[in-house]
Amino acid sequence: MGGYGDVQMIDENGLRMDGRKPGDVRPITIETGVVPVADGSCRMVWGTNEAIVAVYGPMEAHPRKIQRQDRAVIDVAYNMAPFSTTDRIRPGFNRRSREISKVTKDALESVVLLELYPRSKIRVSIEIISAEAGTRCVGLTAASVALADAGIPMTDMVVSVASGKVNDVVVCDLNKEEDNYGEADLPMGVLPNTGELVFLQMDGDLSPEEFKQAWDYNVDAAMQVHKLMVEALKGGANS
Amino acid sequence: MSAPTVPNLLRAHLHDLAINNSRLDGRGQFEGREINLETGILPRAEGSAKVTMGNTIVLAGVKFQLMTPYPDRPNQGGLMCSCEVRPIAGRHWEAGPPSPESIELGRVVDRGIRESGCIDVDDLCIIPGEKAWQVILDLHAISDDGNLFDAFALAGIAALRSAIIPAEKFEVGEDSPLKVSKKPIMCSYHKVGGRFVYDASYKEELGGDERIHITLGDDDHVHSLQKGLKGIFTADEFAEIMEHAKQRCAELRELMN
Repeated sequence: MGGYGDVQMIDENGLRMDGRKPGDVRPITIETGVVPVADGSCRMVWGTNEAIVAVYGPMEAHPRKIQRQDRAVIDVAYNMAPFSTTDRIRPGFNRRSREISKVTKDALESVVLLELYPRSKIRVSIEIISAEAGTRCVGLTAASVALADAGIPMTDMVVSVASGKVNDVVVCDLNKEEDNYGEADLPMGVLPNTGELVFLQMDGDLSPEEFKQAWDYNVDAAMQVHKLMVEALKGGANS
Repeated sequence: MSAPTVPNLLRAHLHDLAINNSRLDGRGQFEGREINLETGILPRAEGSAKVTMGNTIVLAGVKFQLMTPYPDRPNQGGLMCSCEVRPIAGRHWEAGPPSPESIELGRVVDRGIRESGCIDVDDLCIIPGEKAWQVILDLHAISDDGNLFDAFALAGIAALRSAIIPAEKFEVGEDSPLKVSKKPIMCSYHKVGGRFVYDASYKEELGGDERIHITLGDDDHVHSLQKGLKGIFTADEFAEIMEHAKQRCAELRELMN
């Protein structure tokens, strides 16, 4: 984390730069069926993050070497569009995208009933169209909705939120400034029905008490976001 | 893109349809799908557009960078057009380094815009020999149901026309709109079932043969042509689609106003 220290991001009333209280989540809208040629898809706008996810499959797994005789594999490609950030991102190979693709795949493979589709693959393409902060969380959450939209059986949908710490205050769902200048970042992937976790990363500096608070914020936020996901899949008002 | 398997049944069906002057979705030979154009839709881009043509959806985003002008052209900035078709756009697109198909797409769209002269590269110079703007147009496919070429070209020129030069961010003066003096428009034709059709869908592309892309500027000036894929066409066939392209480009130019 940057830890620039003197950037003041919490005002005297305890409110954050975008007017949120420490435990508040940014506004979220979710839409399904946005990629008409895909088997399932989702567009999620979270603050000024925007992710579009398409799911294809289950389909034949190739190259053959990725095939598993007893189950399906999930092929996740997370990518940030060149115009998704303040400074243009050069397209092409990128270590950060590779890592995020991998941890997203690990999370999704933990919930999808892979044994139902031996020797096949399910392709999940995550495109970040606009990035604010927490794009890996938005990508993973939107991917869960897209998988559900594609009718792929899962034990639960993953809801991912990142909390952290700025100016020694633990805050939920970091925005761009808080992510850049804050002191800690704890993204988690929660299964709302059981409270179990399938995704966890962290960097920065948190005391045991702060860690507990950030953890609780994430779980609470995940429950709120889950409601919106279910609503969107049912064709609710905000979809 | 891996080499697609073309079902013979599809080819035969497309042939039968052509004989009856019909198409898979019931369109006429030169009838395009419904087009929807939105601009200013990407919060992080300096110019942007989204084009929907039937089930084909593309985004275009414009970003600016400061560059040192090339020594042989000290008074000029640059224009770059880059195209990525990532696996999100369809099951036939795969991850990995840019495929020849997506490189061709980007280059054909780039030529149409560049050669029309709609952007004056001399205007992009800030300090001769030292500082100039590089305009980067990124084309991004979301859903490919055929004819990405036309969708990209339309989104590209619309995004450029909506772009604001972020001079304040780079501390080189005041923000101002990017000057785009012309409206080059592309029309693409695919040989399907033995005759050319306008605005082919993915299935028509899959079961069709060669394709021809025509970019016309204001006053019907020709700015770029491209013949792609295996196939033979006659001068008469070309004359026919050129006539249609003139009319269609004029209609699409209106769409941008």
